[in-house]
Amino acid sequence: MGLKVKIDKISRKKIPGSSIIYIPSGKYLKFATFGYSSLLADLIYLWSIQYYSDYSVVDRFKYLDHIFSVIAELDHRYLDPYQIGALIALYEARDLDLALKILDRGLEKNPNQWIFPLEAGHYAQMAKKDYKLAQKYYKKAMEIKGAPPITKRLYANASFKLTDYKTAFETWQEIYKTTEEERIKKIASNHLFQVKAAIDIKTIFEAIEKFREIYDRNPVDLSQLVKAGLLDSLPKDLDGQDYHYDSKTGEVKTQTIPWKR
Amino acid sequence: MKIRAIAFNTFKEAIRDRILYLLLFFAAACIIFSRLLALLTVGDRVKIIMDVGLASLSLFGAMMAILMGTGLVYKEIDKKTIYTLLSKPIHRYQFLLGKYFGLILTLFIMLFFMSFIFLTLVFLHTFRIEWELLIAIFYIFVEVCLLTAVAMLFSCFSTPILSSIFSLSFYLIGHLSWGLENSIDKMKPGIAKTLTQILYAFIPDLENFNFKTEVVHHLPIPSEIFLFSVLYGIFYSLFLLFLAILVFRKRDFI
Repeated sequence: MGLKVKIDKISRKKIPGSSIIYIPSGKYLKFATFGYSSLLADLIYLWSIQYYSDYSVVDRFKYLDHIFSVIAELDHRYLDPYQIGALIALYEARDLDLALKILDRGLEKNPNQWIFPLEAGHYAQMAKKDYKLAQKYYKKAMEIKGAPPITKRLYANASFKLTDYKTAFETWQEIYKTTEEERIKKIASNHLFQVKAAIDIKTIFEAIEKFREIYDRNPVDLSQLVKAGLLDSLPKDLDGQDYHYDSKTGEVKTQTIPWKR
Repeated sequence: MKIRAIAFNTFKEAIRDRILYLLLFFAAACIIFSRLLALLTVGDRVKIIMDVGLASLSLFGAMMAILMGTGLVYKEIDKKTIYTLLSKPIHRYQFLLGKYFGLILTLFIMLFFMSFIFLTLVFLHTFRIEWELLIAIFYIFVEVCLLTAVAMLFSCFSTPILSSIFSLSFYLIGHLSWGLENSIDKMKPGIAKTLTQILYAFIPDLENFNFKTEVVHHLPIPSEIFLFSVLYGIFYSLFLLFLAILVFRKRDFI
């Protein structure tokens, strides 16, 4: 007993993260599990959680993809590791591409799981502001049965950010028509207001630009654009109100803020 | 009647074996330990409990079958009690079948206890009885029955240590044979492929009784596979018992 305590007190040199070298490829590891591949996947996943909580292993992210690919190989239906692996890749390793790679793998092996493209879209939108990529992932998620209604809303929002107003308007319109929740109807209505305003303001701006080219000044009011033949008629916002125009700055905006309608 | 009497006595003898309770204790400890292991995870805790629980049932069930099955016939020969038994008007096949069914009854009761602990633990987490788990447990039992037949076959002509090694090898090969199937798919047609196919047909495929992953992930299992896996288990066990009877009949007891 005394000897044990004595031995425990002696500090020994350890190589942080050295255990990683013992994990072979999942393809070969599966042969060695003798029917317990699911259990081994659990154990490696539990170990990986501890491993990635150890900040003394400086280069721990070097093997992130390898570890989570081994788990996927052993039990490809185990969904938690894909999500946690991607989370670690994004927030700890600051590697969005790796996070997306892990989530793509999850989707490839579980094509009926909408959570992977939904998370990938969210990551692409939040971490990279890559709305094109986000739109692509949200579209994938939407096409999977059981995807939550928020997926469509995120898709519409990403389309709006991409200035793909047509898709954004159509999607918000569909959400407005199909939802039974008053709250969602209100959200969709506000977004429709916002998208329509963006389309209209863009059209008005283009007309103002042309007016400036011809007359070398800003129009006094928007009706001059119609008189000059640059617009067929003055567009109104979704609530039927005129757009507010500042002739000094040439700025056009809605009279009400979409979220305060 | 004679088989039943031998089976009943084998059962009474087996439940007195300390190794059985030792394995049962470790199995129960592993199942309960899964609760602690589940605390370490991020995400689905029940999945960890189910995986560890089913693996414990399968592993300790197999160990019980191998460790007890290999000593079953050998002990009778070693202690010379076989002379008394075979001097009675019983056939050797009756003796073997009695021993086999006695051990199967013992293993059934042990699996029942382990399953009870396991299902209770799962129930305490999900607050519902996971009937699907019984499918995986049933096939673990079929696998254990087959392993008992293997252990018994080796026990008829070898020592317990060697029989245990042989049975364990059978268990490992049985769970690796799917690798051979993969190799066959990749092989070019020819003699080598035909020979490998013949080899594959003979070696056991214990993965046919492995429904652990499907059950844990609530995946649909084709109904034909239920029937064919049970039939495969029964016929393979009968074949092994037949071999064991052949070997045992040829043996001389001096």
